[in-house]
Order: sequence, then structure tokens, then C-alpha cells
Amino acid sequence: MEESDGAVIAGSLETPGAFGIIFDRHGSTLLRFLTRRVDPAEAEDLLGEVFRIAFERRSTFERDRDSARPWLYGIAANLVAKHHRSESRRLRAMARVSARRVLPDDPAERAVAAADAGVLWARVVDAIGTLPEAERQVLLLYAWEELSYEEIASALGVPVGTVRSRLSRGRARLAALTRERDTAVGVPLAPFAPCDAGGDR
Amino acid sequence: MTDDLERLRRVRPDRLLPDDPPDPETLVRGKARLMSAITGPADPADAAGAVSPADAAGAAGAAGQRRSPSIYPRLAYRDEVAALGFLTRAFGFVERREARMEHPDGMLAWLEIGDGMVMIGRAGEEHHGLHSPLDVGALTAMVNVRVHDIDAHYRRAEAEGARIVMPLEEMFWGDRRYEALDPEGHRWHFAERVTRAPDQPGEFTGGGGHTGGGGS
Repeated sequence: MEESDGAVIAGSLETPGAFGIIFDRHGSTLLRFLTRRVDPAEAEDLLGEVFRIAFERRSTFERDRDSARPWLYGIAANLVAKHHRSESRRLRAMARVSARRVLPDDPAERAVAAADAGVLWARVVDAIGTLPEAERQVLLLYAWEELSYEEIASALGVPVGTVRSRLSRGRARLAALTRERDTAVGVPLAPFAPCDAGGDR
Repeated sequence: MTDDLERLRRVRPDRLLPDDPPDPETLVRGKARLMSAITGPADPADAAGAVSPADAAGAAGAAGQRRSPSIYPRLAYRDEVAALGFLTRAFGFVERREARMEHPDGMLAWLEIGDGMVMIGRAGEEHHGLHSPLDVGALTAMVNVRVHDIDAHYRRAEAEGARIVMPLEEMFWGDRRYEALDPEGHRWHFAERVTRAPDQPGEFTGGGGHTGGGGS
């Protein structure tokens, strides 16, 4: 029976080194989250930041909480928001990848010509970038990180009702953005057209 | 039409590019930096003692960053979580706990003995086309491991249920060794050098040269 994160963190007030256990338990999850959201090179630095901040604030973590994961996600999401340029670069790079990529396991995709499907995915990625920050955070914590409403609320320090409303607003906006673009057949999306040269910035 | 959430899930970066896991070194570095910030670089003993028994068992260098060897194999299991438990319990591997990656479709773990390392993950076509011996009924590789105190190692492995397929015995080239199968049938060769060999590389070439059966 492993000690809960709350107990480990409480113990680390006496024995700071014990905080390393929190890294062991959640480091790879947080690294994966950051790698999804910002430039890979920046993800490693932000990972260090997340745990440095968490360590400094560990006295505020409630002892009876089982998992520190939502709390760490909250710190990380906040850092991502402060690195918006890096996030945009990551999304642009992804859009380029998705424009070329055929996802072989997707039945919906087989119905469409591969090239068109690639354009569709690029549009979804593009749309993510245009969402308001608060909605993007909630949507991606839900869809990519698979956190529950409660975990997202706890991560972002907002009520569960706010999570629900941001999620549904974000979904509606995303659907509208993608639909809009679906109908714009034949109009190439300037930033994501398949020209690799010079597309890095 | 695909549901909007499903579309969003589909463009998750590691789904678009699922090929490679992140480098576990990133996590090893991250952990080392955190620990030196917490305990100060001058106090590695505290860090290792407080943090994980793994570090203590992991031979040299509590705070020193261990590097991955240039070559290490990746083994596939139907149940990689059970395999992790078995390999640490029965064979004395020590997991690089901070490097573990947990995905809904499989866990990746890095295990060390001495300066060697193996990586384990889930079997399947979608996981680099690697399969468990349980599924293919054949082996195409064996992992060789040097250990200290081979007799104790053997007793522990046997007690934990490893299937011994070659008995513990002393070989003419100076090794005491045995071979065992883990629960999914991967084959492991464990050896300790028991007779003093000349301090030279090329352990297997002494005397009459390398016999064909020596390596298998």
C-alpha cells in the first residue's frame, strides 16, 4: 500500500528529499503533457519549473489528498499559458505533420481521400490555436489528458460548473470553426499549405 | 461526421507521431536537477536514501547522473506490468522509476543491473512489431546479464518461480552461470566470473578458441 501523495508531501516538509517520490510518480505524465503542448526542447525546462514551483509550494498541498496529479497539471497548464509563443509554434508544427499524415486506423478517414483528410486534421489543429485560452486549457485537459471534470476543476482552481460551461463553449466553438473550414473547399490554408521550406517560424 | 471531441483526440501530438517514446534521460536529468535543488548537490546520500531504494541498490553514483548504455534491448510482454514486478522480484532488476511512462495502451519501463539496462513494453504489432514469446512460440534473442553472487541470484530466481532451463554450473571459461525463462518465456542468461581471468578483453577466446556452442 503506497503512501498517498498527500502523506508523502507532508513528510517532505520534514525530509525534503522525500519530494523526489512525487517526481517518480508523476514526472513522466507531466513531461508528456508538456511535450504535447510546447516545443519539445522547452518541455524539459518547463518540467523542471513545474517541480521547482511545486516543491516551493508544497506546504499548501492538503495532506488528505490522494493524488498530486491535478495540482501539478494546474501548475503546468499555467506555465504553458505563459509560453504562448512556444505553444503556437508547437501547433503549427503539428498542423504540418497532420496535413501529411494518414491515420490508418480511422474508418471515417477511409471514406475520404487521404489528402483531404490530412487537410481536415490540419484544420482541427488550426482551430485549437484560435480558441480562447481558458477554453483551450479545459478542452485539452479533457480530450488529451483525459482528466475528469473534478480533476480539471481542481487543477485550474475553478468550480466544476465552470469547467462544464467552458468545455461546452469550447466544443461548440471548435465545431463551428472546423465546419466553417470544411465548407471552404479548395481554399488552401495559407500557413499550412504543404510548403515545408521556411515554415519553421 | 466524426464527433468534435473525437477529432480533437485524433490530433493529439503523440497520436499523430506515435513512433517513439520520449528519451528517458530527460526524466533522469529532471529528477537529478530537482534533487540537487532540494538537497543541495553536496548531499547525495540524503537524496538517495530518502527518495528511492532503487537508487541505493543501483550501484555507484547516488546523485551522479547515470547514463544509458549505448545499446540496450527492448523486450515485449503481453502483461508488461506483471513483467516489471517479476523482473525486479526474481532477477533483482532495479527500475529507473522516474523514467516510467504510463499510457492507456501500455507502460514502458527501464530496468537496470550494474551498468546494463533493458527496456520493457507491451507486445503487439502496433508496438514496433515486437511480440511476446507467449504469442509466437519461439525466441529470437537472449539477454546476458553479469551479476554478483550468482548462487544467491539463482536461489532467489528459483524461489520466485523463474523456470530454470539450464542449471547453475561452472563453465570451462571461468563463469558460473544458469539460464532461466521469465513468465512469458523470454530467456535470460545470468553469469558471474568465478575464476580469475587474465586482465584482458576477449574472455571467450582463451585456450582453444571459441567453440560454436559457447555463445548460445
